[in-house]
Amino acid sequence: MCANLTGNCTKGERELLFEVVRSKYGDRLTSDELEEVKKGVDRIFEAVEKLRAVKLENWDEPFSIFRPYRKDE
Amino acid sequence: MSKGVIYKPIRDLSELVRTCKVSPVELAKTFLNRLENLGPKYNAVVTVTRERALGHAQRAEEEITKGLYRGPLHGIPFGVKDLLATSDDIPTTWGAAPFKDQSFGYDATVIRRLEESGGVLVAKLSMIELAGGMGYRQPHASFTGPPRNPWNPERWTGGSSSGSGASVAGGFVPYAIGSETWGSILSPANNCGVAGLRPTYGRVSRFGAMALSWTLDKLGSLCLTADDCGLVLEAIAGPDPNDPTTTERPYRYDTRPIGRPFKLGLIKDALEGMEEDVKQNFEEALKVLEKVASIEEVEFPDLPYNEITRVILSAEAAAAFDEFVEEGKAAELTAPEDHFGPYARTVVLAKDYLRALRLRTHMARAAEEVMYPYDAIVAPTNRRVASPIDMEFRRNSTSTYRDITGAVGNGAGLPSISIPNGFNDESLPTGIQFIGRAYDENLIIAVARTYQSMTDWHRRHPPELTP
Repeated sequence: MCANLTGNCTKGERELLFEVVRSKYGDRLTSDELEEVKKGVDRIFEAVEKLRAVKLENWDEPFSIFRPYRKDE
Repeated sequence: MSKGVIYKPIRDLSELVRTCKVSPVELAKTFLNRLENLGPKYNAVVTVTRERALGHAQRAEEEITKGLYRGPLHGIPFGVKDLLATSDDIPTTWGAAPFKDQSFGYDATVIRRLEESGGVLVAKLSMIELAGGMGYRQPHASFTGPPRNPWNPERWTGGSSSGSGASVAGGFVPYAIGSETWGSILSPANNCGVAGLRPTYGRVSRFGAMALSWTLDKLGSLCLTADDCGLVLEAIAGPDPNDPTTTERPYRYDTRPIGRPFKLGLIKDALEGMEEDVKQNFEEALKVLEKVASIEEVEFPDLPYNEITRVILSAEAAAAFDEFVEEGKAAELTAPEDHFGPYARTVVLAKDYLRALRLRTHMARAAEEVMYPYDAIVAPTNRRVASPIDMEFRRNSTSTYRDITGAVGNGAGLPSISIPNGFNDESLPTGIQFIGRAYDENLIIAVARTYQSMTDWHRRHPPELTP
């Protein structure tokens, strides 16, 4: 768990994930566009770090509740 | 005929139609002509549905003449954001060049319900491409051109329900349907100076609507008055087997006074970062509201609201447009930033998306705790007026501005209504919003309706477009 919100605790992770984007889609993006994508990954991980900083309990469920399906109900 | 019907609320128009003082066919022709003649100047329209409209108007006229009156929407023209499926080979473009020839063989539930209420579909209205889901930063993000504001064509309408806002403000339609994932009804309502209602998530079926984010998308109306929003909501709300997220809770629009002063909550520090005119108009509006309401400051507990809603939206939009992005179609979009915008979100981890959904539970409970004692939370709709048509509105993407009302309102699926509350010194409208607890649309509409009964901002229209 990230202990601070300095924006550095997912640095390695975000660099790796940006590399995933670059290896998958780099051939269709210019260098300027790739730079923008990198900023986009950074912004997402700034948000993710804030989410990870909130303590959740094991039983904290996602809000969406799955309901098994029957056509006749 | 224009003089008598343009800028008349549905409530007034329907009385003219019911009493046969106005013919639905003539009414449809009047709005069809305005859509065709004025709509293009504002890039507000994608497709004018003249043939279908005249057929439905003719049927409405015959029914009403025979005394078969269906209700307040009978014979009243309307437009829809072009992300709602339509039959009759009418294209449904999602505002995006790669989909400009797309069509469906069926009607979205909302359109079907409005037509069953006697409504007359006159146009598919422009929108920001893919409802803004690719990360656009400026108004040139629609294959039909940048949506221009009827109050000043050099200003933006807001988005993504841009044509819906412009068409109501321009008097091209009496009302329009829009959609909101995060801000897409309230923003055009604010910028165009009209009423916009974002209903509770699940109140209105999304069957036939483009999906951007399954757990955030809502359909609602843009109208001239809060009262009209209630009339439209009654027609479109309700369960739909084609959309399993729709609630079984019935909705009836109720205009009876609540018989006591309203109780409003005002978010602490709500005015931080607001433009001066927005702030001033909001404070003036509070003085008006104090005559009919108690207003207390409220504070939301500390949670990463913006981040919760943003991560949910990012992950769901990435999934909803997975094939589109994988096929490289984003490069065909109009806004340059939409060519690369969708790629970053392809790497949101599943556990982080689920963390956001788990935190959403806390957010929804926190919002309910704060809002439970109140009829509505009151706040400025946007922190600024309509931006110039060539300006990047997300210029500072690392802005520290936190849109708590948008993040909580959309993330927790709460209803909100925006209505105009004044103008700045360049005659651009500002808006005030009332956010309610889940399913409390009638209460927030009542507050907005009461405010409109004490003010005349909603009766002001762009002079150049007023007959």
